[in-house]
Amino acid sequence: MAGKKGKTPKKSVGGGKKPEVVQDERLQAIVLTDSFETRFMPLTAVKPRCLLPLANVPLIEYTLEFLAKAGASEVYLVCASHADQVSAYIETSKWNMPWSPFRVSTIMSLESRSVGDAMRDLDNRGVITGDFILVSGDLVTNMEFDKALEFHRKKKAEDKDHIVTMCLSKASQFYRTRCHEPAAFILDKSNNRCLYYQDIPLASSKHKTSLAIDPELLEDVDEFTLRNDLIDCHVDICSPLVPAIFQENFDYQYLRRDFVKGVLTSDLLKKSIYSFITDEYAARVESWQTYDAISQDFIARWCYPMVLNTNLLDDQTYSYESEHIYKEKDVVLAQSCKIGKRTAIGSGSKIGEGTKIQNSVIGRNCYIGENIIIRDSFIWDNTVIGAKSLIEHSLVASGVKIGSNVILNDGCVIGFNVMVDDNMEIPMGTRISETPVRKKATQFSDSASYEDDETAKQDESTKVISPAYELVGTDGVGYVYDSDKAEDDDDASVIDVVTNSLTYKFDDLYLSDDSISSTAGKRKKKRSMSTNSIYTDREGDDYEDDEEDEEDFAVEAIATVERAMENNHDLDTALLELNTLRMSINVSYHEVRSATVVALLRRVYHFIATQTLGAKDAVQKVFSQWGMMFQRQAFDQEEFVDLSNLLLEKVVAQGFEKPEFILFSALTCLYDLDILDEDAVYTWWDQVSQEEKYSQAKTLTAKWIEWLKTADEESSEEESEESESE
Amino acid sequence: MSSDINVTVASFIDRLKRRQIYGSYQVSLETLQLLKRFVSAARWTNINDLISQLRALGSRLAKAQPTEFTCGNIIRRVLALIRDEVEEEIASAMVQNNAEPMISSMFSLLQKPVATPSQRSVEHPKADIRQVIIQGIKDLIDEIANIDDGIQQIAIDLIHDREILLTPTPDSKTVLKFLIKARERNNRDFTVLVSEGFPNNTHVAHQFAKKLSEHGIETTVIPDTAVFALMSRVGKVIIGAKTVFTNGGTISSTAGVSSVCECAREFKTPVFAVAGLYKLSPLYPFDIEKFVEVGGSQRVLPTMENDRVGNHNRLDTVNPIADYVPPENIDIYITNIGGFAPSFIYRVVWDNYKQQDVNLEAN
Repeated sequence: MAGKKGKTPKKSVGGGKKPEVVQDERLQAIVLTDSFETRFMPLTAVKPRCLLPLANVPLIEYTLEFLAKAGASEVYLVCASHADQVSAYIETSKWNMPWSPFRVSTIMSLESRSVGDAMRDLDNRGVITGDFILVSGDLVTNMEFDKALEFHRKKKAEDKDHIVTMCLSKASQFYRTRCHEPAAFILDKSNNRCLYYQDIPLASSKHKTSLAIDPELLEDVDEFTLRNDLIDCHVDICSPLVPAIFQENFDYQYLRRDFVKGVLTSDLLKKSIYSFITDEYAARVESWQTYDAISQDFIARWCYPMVLNTNLLDDQTYSYESEHIYKEKDVVLAQSCKIGKRTAIGSGSKIGEGTKIQNSVIGRNCYIGENIIIRDSFIWDNTVIGAKSLIEHSLVASGVKIGSNVILNDGCVIGFNVMVDDNMEIPMGTRISETPVRKKATQFSDSASYEDDETAKQDESTKVISPAYELVGTDGVGYVYDSDKAEDDDDASVIDVVTNSLTYKFDDLYLSDDSISSTAGKRKKKRSMSTNSIYTDREGDDYEDDEEDEEDFAVEAIATVERAMENNHDLDTALLELNTLRMSINVSYHEVRSATVVALLRRVYHFIATQTLGAKDAVQKVFSQWGMMFQRQAFDQEEFVDLSNLLLEKVVAQGFEKPEFILFSALTCLYDLDILDEDAVYTWWDQVSQEEKYSQAKTLTAKWIEWLKTADEESSEEESEESESE
Repeated sequence: MSSDINVTVASFIDRLKRRQIYGSYQVSLETLQLLKRFVSAARWTNINDLISQLRALGSRLAKAQPTEFTCGNIIRRVLALIRDEVEEEIASAMVQNNAEPMISSMFSLLQKPVATPSQRSVEHPKADIRQVIIQGIKDLIDEIANIDDGIQQIAIDLIHDREILLTPTPDSKTVLKFLIKARERNNRDFTVLVSEGFPNNTHVAHQFAKKLSEHGIETTVIPDTAVFALMSRVGKVIIGAKTVFTNGGTISSTAGVSSVCECAREFKTPVFAVAGLYKLSPLYPFDIEKFVEVGGSQRVLPTMENDRVGNHNRLDTVNPIADYVPPENIDIYITNIGGFAPSFIYRVVWDNYKQQDVNLEAN
């Protein structure tokens, strides 16, 4: 931690002119390939979001193209779910070729369950050297990044505490790609410094609230603007301090809701965040609706000069024709078929006689039969669609087979390799996947419960999901995926329905927000993930560092606890400090307990040595006040045993005159505080070390345990007597 | 071929695609630099080998950015240069051959006469031809770098005192220098009308007008819609060409030039097109639609005001960023080697390119 703080002044000194030239040469970029959301289920059960094709180009390509244009020299892709697929893709892509404009490497951050975790992981790996771009892997933009970077550097020269520049783009009220995390930004009118950030719920949500602004925040500001018309496309230019701040605040999960808000409202950090507002096209593919909107915009050349006929992938051969029609070579069109405007067709696809296609994207090697009508839809690679079908505003993923005379109504999503039999009609907004997708496990990320499929099937043996034969027909293959969030509150499900659906009928609902006062509320996103377990899991990852870290940690942690006791901090503060320390050095709870025990015993020793208190009183005083700390440091039987062992060990190590007395008092004290229960004590006693040096210390405790046991028996006897008498 | 040059070529293509290299002047110079490296790194056993390698490179570049014709032009120029060199050698070899006493044998009659000269060229030391090609490329670089001087020499005599000129291509640096030179050298007093070129060139047009006025030229910015109304007063229309095809038609770098030229024809106003020699292309504009690039919609409607909500998205935008002007609407081309009528352009083209290199893909 000390090391990290040491960076701070260096950084701000580096705000001058010359060091920036050096930074200029090595612009790093972090791409978060995982969105930590489930909006694209069931497709994301099989493929990560960033590899889903938008207009026949995998989403990640758009982001990488943007970075190439922005002049990044090192790109790190942080992968969580489907990390293997992402890294396999990158390895074979043109970005891994020697002529790639930047060096690309993937970071496997499999344990990450949120942006916050990913950032902490980054910090642990120490890849960040200078200012970096933080983007998500689903960004589509033609933003001129130079201007943003220039803005960032200018502001940095002016304001030493400047850590993040957020790139936002203006939107009109009903614009389709307005994001699903609407937010209000309060900006200083004179220099675009962000004063406050608050996420507001969707207009459709039932919760309404107002913005609560701390007047202190607005103290030195002459004029400010309050805006909720900004598309937050999550392009941030961050200083290396940002991952460190995440590290220090281990409860931050979201970049905006937690981090930005936290930094802005924090009295301690005194950092500032600026926002760069651009007019150019910038949007994230974060839901079906934005997918739909961005795809259409891309086809209609709103993102020029990034257009389909620049052929982002090396093997693409798109050429442009009037009315925004793009065709690759080797497309076979029947004489009487009609290709309407805003359509793209991939190579090797065949379109049959009398078929009408409009405002759609057709992938490669698709076979589309006769007399079909396809409107506003997305057909991915290698699909077969039988004659006389009608596909309206739906998404058909790769490898799907659709029989003849099938009707796909508004908003259907047909997952990979699903087969739909002849003469079926699929109702509005249905989502079908090839295999049943377990819902519970996928709540936090796009992540794969896929490998858990076996277990998923077993788990659900109680409520077996049967193939949706009524939808896909008797020869079909497919299961209905419905994101039933019935267990959540209404609000979440409304958000879910609204943001998750491709259908048109929600468009108006979702897009209207009349005034900011009518919108607000708290978000019921699941945030219950335990950061703790993730970190303890990571033990032993890098073993060599750990040992050093542990030593550092012990010294620091003991100092922390001692400080807390001396200055009489409250318990929570002490715990928070300890926890922060634990997070930053990345050690397990064992070390925390050990440090705490040592600190407490030293205190006791101090009291006894200075003869302020007798042995028993001293223990009583220290442990009754501070013993509660263990409650938040040990959680199960094993850990309690560990705690007791530590006590024994440290009592002996401390060299008290009467170790048996100290140990006994400490244990009884913890027992009285309900931290140790009988079972824990017994288990510990059963396996306690029999070494010679501990024998003295154990004498009194042995008696106590015997007493406990008899007391226990008595009470149980009493109980049984009572029950008998009843 | 070494992997090093492959990397250079691939990154050049990437930059071309990403439009990090744009504008015919920059593209031409960068292409020449690339060719220089390519030729010095290339290995070939036969000069035809090198030619086919260059043709392959040319078609790759053309595919990367189909509307950037300069790449293709430059490569074709270099190919023509090589072919000329080869021909010269063959010719000299023939002279030598002829000098040799004829062997009166029946066998020689059955031999293929063509085989001899090509074998001859193989015998020729390779470093030599490489040197010649690289020197040729250097000469081309010089030519292109000094292209404006050549044009300006001619320009001066074309502009008269108290004339009103109209230019719809404010992004052309050649036009800008041309006008400034005319003002400075001859101290002519003339007025320039600059059409605004909404939406893609508005900003450029304003900059252009500002620069002209800074040089003491009386300048007026007019909206595109006023062109017809003002045409009766205009003495000459000056346009910058992006590409000139064999038929004498041109792709201009700004949309709307075609309609300006149409207006000019209506009023019998002469249209001057200024173009460097490297902009002449041996292609024929069969499919004009393919040659006219379509730009971004966001310029037409402000980016985020696109309100196409739901399935009633009837609103559409098209924004071509170039324009094709047919040869009959242009009176004269002013190049660095002189002024030519559009009908004469094909002659100039065949002076500089070889017929067999028009289609780079065919073998």
